[in-house]
Amino acid sequence: MKVTIQAVAVWGKIAPSHSITAIMITDDQQTIVTGSQEGQICLWDLSSELKVSSKEILFGHTASVTCLAKARDFEKQPYVVSAAENGEMCVWNVASGQSVGNTKLPYRHTAICYYHCSFRMTGEGWLLCCGEYQDVLIIDAKTLSVLHTLTSSQYSDWINCMCIVHSTRIQEDSLVAVSIGGDLKVWDLSSSLNSIQERQSVCEKESKSLHCINCRAIRFCTYTERLLLVVSSTCWQVYDYCDFSLLCTEFCKSGQCFAGGEVLAAYRLILWTEDGHSYIYQLLNSGLSKGIYPADGKVLKETVFPHLLCSTGVKENKSFPFVMGFMNERKEPFYKILFSGEASGRITLWHVPDVPVSTVDGSPKEIPVTTTWTLQDNFDKHHSVSEGIIDYLCASEDGNENAVVSSSVYIPSLDKLVCGCENGKIFVTLALRTVRARLLENISLFKDNLPYKVLTGHSSRVTCLLYPHDKLTRFDPSWLLSGGQDSVVICWDIFTGEILHQFTLQSGPVTELLQPPEDCRVNQSIVCCVCRDHSVAVLHLQDGVCLLHARKHLFPVKMIKLDPVENLLIVGCEDDSVYIWEIETGTLERHETGETAKAIFSSIDESEYLMAGVQLPISQDSKRHKDTAYKFSSSCKRGMHVPCPHLGDNSSKLCFCFCFFQLPDTGHIQQSFTVLPLKTKWNNINFHVLLFDLERLVELLTSQLSGLKSSNSFHDYDTLQRVKSTAEKRSRTLKRNKTAGSICAVNGQVNTVCANQDHTDSSVRPLEESGGMKRHKKMKSSRKNKLQPLGNIDVNITDTAKLFLSCLFPWGVDKEIDNLCVSYLDILRLQCPVSFGLVSDENYMSLMLPGWSSTDCGVLEERAVINLFSKRVLDLANKFLSATEGQTGRKDGPGNNIHGSQGSETVFLLNRIALINRIINIPLDISEVESIFYLYACMYNKNRFYAPDFENISLMKLTRCWSDQSIKIIEAMQAVLLAEVQRTVITLRKTAVCREPLPILENGNGKGNQWTSQLKLSCSFATELSMSLGVPKHDKGSNSTSFQDAEDTPDRCVLEESESPGESHLKTVTNW
Amino acid sequence: MAAAMASAAERAVLEEEFKWLLQEEVHAVLKQLQDILKEASQRFALPVSGSEGAIKQENFVLSTSGSCVLGMKTTSSHMFVSSFKDINLKMPRNNQLLHFAFREDKQWKLQQIQDARNHVNQAIYLLMNRDVNYQFRTGSEVLKLMDAVMLQLTRARNRLTTPATLTLPEIASGGLTKMFTPALPPDILVNFYINLNKLCLTVYQLHVLQPSTTKNFKPAGGSVLHNPGAMFEFGNQRYEVSHVHKVESVVPWLNDALVFFTVSLQLCQQLKDKISVFSSYWNYRPY
Repeated sequence: MKVTIQAVAVWGKIAPSHSITAIMITDDQQTIVTGSQEGQICLWDLSSELKVSSKEILFGHTASVTCLAKARDFEKQPYVVSAAENGEMCVWNVASGQSVGNTKLPYRHTAICYYHCSFRMTGEGWLLCCGEYQDVLIIDAKTLSVLHTLTSSQYSDWINCMCIVHSTRIQEDSLVAVSIGGDLKVWDLSSSLNSIQERQSVCEKESKSLHCINCRAIRFCTYTERLLLVVSSTCWQVYDYCDFSLLCTEFCKSGQCFAGGEVLAAYRLILWTEDGHSYIYQLLNSGLSKGIYPADGKVLKETVFPHLLCSTGVKENKSFPFVMGFMNERKEPFYKILFSGEASGRITLWHVPDVPVSTVDGSPKEIPVTTTWTLQDNFDKHHSVSEGIIDYLCASEDGNENAVVSSSVYIPSLDKLVCGCENGKIFVTLALRTVRARLLENISLFKDNLPYKVLTGHSSRVTCLLYPHDKLTRFDPSWLLSGGQDSVVICWDIFTGEILHQFTLQSGPVTELLQPPEDCRVNQSIVCCVCRDHSVAVLHLQDGVCLLHARKHLFPVKMIKLDPVENLLIVGCEDDSVYIWEIETGTLERHETGETAKAIFSSIDESEYLMAGVQLPISQDSKRHKDTAYKFSSSCKRGMHVPCPHLGDNSSKLCFCFCFFQLPDTGHIQQSFTVLPLKTKWNNINFHVLLFDLERLVELLTSQLSGLKSSNSFHDYDTLQRVKSTAEKRSRTLKRNKTAGSICAVNGQVNTVCANQDHTDSSVRPLEESGGMKRHKKMKSSRKNKLQPLGNIDVNITDTAKLFLSCLFPWGVDKEIDNLCVSYLDILRLQCPVSFGLVSDENYMSLMLPGWSSTDCGVLEERAVINLFSKRVLDLANKFLSATEGQTGRKDGPGNNIHGSQGSETVFLLNRIALINRIINIPLDISEVESIFYLYACMYNKNRFYAPDFENISLMKLTRCWSDQSIKIIEAMQAVLLAEVQRTVITLRKTAVCREPLPILENGNGKGNQWTSQLKLSCSFATELSMSLGVPKHDKGSNSTSFQDAEDTPDRCVLEESESPGESHLKTVTNW
Repeated sequence: MAAAMASAAERAVLEEEFKWLLQEEVHAVLKQLQDILKEASQRFALPVSGSEGAIKQENFVLSTSGSCVLGMKTTSSHMFVSSFKDINLKMPRNNQLLHFAFREDKQWKLQQIQDARNHVNQAIYLLMNRDVNYQFRTGSEVLKLMDAVMLQLTRARNRLTTPATLTLPEIASGGLTKMFTPALPPDILVNFYINLNKLCLTVYQLHVLQPSTTKNFKPAGGSVLHNPGAMFEFGNQRYEVSHVHKVESVVPWLNDALVFFTVSLQLCQQLKDKISVFSSYWNYRPY
């Protein structure tokens, strides 16, 4: 089963760069898909008025995208395949934004054609691929494995372009391709289906040299069924498909290169150039229309000549390579659209009239641009959505808006977010509270009271940050390193804000700060620093000296290793050369290239690098470790040497995806919430992704609620050690704070202390604790060892859960529901719609872009709905409500929970959402029995969820069929959340007076396990059903007793009264 | 020293300098790159079909490694794209001299050379697209172009420096075995590849493993050069490599091509470095 982590993107004011390298419009003319040099796929909404708005950005490729193509019959499944420079292929469901499959093959594709022959083919069809390899590969569209190749008997070479010829007249589907050497080749497809399936070699049917170098496109005219358009960079030609005789040639204007073309209609062609111009030609003919006789070829050749009808252009070609395409649809309401994507990320559309005509005097007519749009336009339009994570801090600081975050780092152990800005300032804030202040409404209180510190030392942009203690405890916990554009590395004391050391390197901007891996035997506190001039500095933090500044590298640094035994620095560069430096003397000992360098590279274990290469085999590992949550020491190690998501200019290409799966997994097992700073390649724009691990959140909340804390399995030795070290650190910092006397720092520190000390207090009133400093300090000394392991998570967990619900909930659908949420769940309204996202362990992530809210649910204007993911959510919620309507008399559920504490209600909702999440993640292509089995596994594998009842089963069936309909996980979760809250409102109305407390069945721990094992034995659904009905009753009794036992711990007897809206829903836990 | 401190006058000078870099220097470097790569590309050039008369002959005497003597003569300007004449193998087994030539009716190309040539041509095409009249407006435009060119060049170079690792069945089923006249005896496999500037030929002598043999059959994986004792299954028959002969010969023009690649890669990187120097001076503009 897939594991997914919910994410919320906090964009900045500037959009991430998206240099378009491939573009297509889906068959339903509703989505534009673009692939970028940075490796992301962007989905744009195309409205029926031809308005463009960005919708979603998909991370999955680690290299530049080379081509896009549809991967299924679009009416059935809206799938698109993308291929990347490094051989990755990925199939996306463009309706839901999810990855359907991916693979990595040793082939680089430049064009893909989807071919499916429904009556003669089993399976989902083929992807015919060509690229930087000989001839044509046939790849299965479903499994993405290579089925076969279409080979050439002679002049075998790379194929430049190809198209599928499907003609009723010829009665044979063929693939027409032009090789890089200018040879035209034709392969039969439909008649060679059998031999391909039997893996016999398939050679071309025809081959002809066209003598056209750099062929860019080949198109078959389906209107006349005989013309073949061949576009090369210098000219375009029309051939007769019957005998491949040349009918006409037209050269392009000087200074322009043709980039592609398409047949508009019979004898009407559209050609486009690399600089974004296009030309529509009419082929004037006298004899052609009459004769379909190949014998006339020679005569026809004389009579066909092109006449320019219309042209389109761009005013100023801002960024050179344009990728263009043409969509030809004759059915209403579809348009003929010429579309282009630029390297700057701009999309331009032209609506080509059905019958293009020239002007009266015969000169070509200019077709105006219909729409043009960039990602940045979306960011500007929805500026409240695209506000950066600490923008309000910067604004309050000096009033100008220029303080764009240029680098940032999140410190999980301190829950601190450190942001370096363009103006050289470094902001240190508390992560969760910063995020709450950024996302939630009406918390000017939060904003004003938000403790933060500003470190001033750099004179220009802060380019990178490093908190070494997080990964390696031998570094002092107060050390924070920052590198700047001014070539200065500063070592700060993060708690006091003073500068400990300052290293001036004078070799251009610092691009990366790296630390040695854990298992490396470097005992001193050494970090390495890479500068723009490709030099590497070895800095000793304790002594504050620069041990070595290695400056001879000609190419960007790819990897660094410290050899503590020989005291060597080994530097690998991008041109595959290796430099070996002696640290003590500072001399270059060896410089190797070629074979020797290769040998050195291969002898170094990947885990020894300071900086890992781009391709890390992380994905499989993370998958494994996710399942065995407590056996994570090795993945921890692995996490160390990844310079994580700081993608400076010289770390080649983006490697977002790999970083993702480490952060949530490794460092902090207790962390259900992580802030992930990301940087894009070209414009260095920083944005943040908040990751919510729903499963863990539920787990922690449940355990917190049911008082099972001490027995939690994940409190292993590692965590204890960490806690111990943080405790030490805290006492130290407290001391420091006293002496430093900085109000800001003290305030921040107190918050942390509170957070970790007294969950009951701070979870309810996070703002009132600043006065209680003394008390906390006393408590700290007495209860340190007892409370901290548990307390560390409490406040954050509750707040995180609330924040998550706030982000997910569709505000404004119903006023009453909104109020209920605010009062009962204690969650706050959102300031603006959030950009939700999804991170999966299958190496991809999707994030909504600031334009999403205007795309899907623009119809609901009558209500000011904030954050409704799509109109579908409302339908789904209604369906869900009606499907589960019959079971109102169930024993457990929100109706009763509402009388319990707020916490349990939150837990209930989160549980539901987590369950939905799991159900939807069940693979689709499994048998009925298996799926039932999975359903049960869903409920039990985390072992503390509700006992099964009718309601849960019907819920599963319902959501199960949702997942078949390519409904997004997020939509489903939102629908269920909405429905559950709605139901609560109804129950609340009915039972406003009745306040009979009932136990909740959520800690049926042992039962759950037992259940799973029973299920494994008996696979029959019927028995399970009957048992599932029988057991809950039986469960109830035993649980309520054990529950009370567990509740005996004194620190659970707490009132949560602050949020009571006048009514008496509050209830002490001891009442249970 | 840093952007914030640079005075207005300093900025003006820098802007001027950056403009010069984009308008003059970049084109100069691109021209230089084109010249170098065209030179490299000529090394790989195909004989234009139809001009068969202009074929020059190259002879390679592949050095001997003791047991196997191999003499080879090629016709056509580039053996890699068409054919070898005369391959003489002297087998140690029975001292018999085997003599082969490539078939005239079939064409066989050395994939590595073809790929390298195509990569270089792609790089040239990328460079030619920006002719002298094209105005670069931003630095990142240049950086992107350089990245694309460098990618092609690195691939071209890697294609020559890293021969493909093939499994024995892949060699056996490859087109090369069918290229000889007279046909190769069934117990011999040959493989040609390029390693850096050397043309290498490996000859594997096989013996058939009887199904009744007690030997543990373990098929060998992919490798550039297989060792004696490697086993494989091909066409329902199991084989074991009994002898391996490897001969190689330095091809001077390959050496040239590799040097050209390295030089142009350095030029590209230098241009990139020059551009990024200026990135330090203005913060918010995409340089």
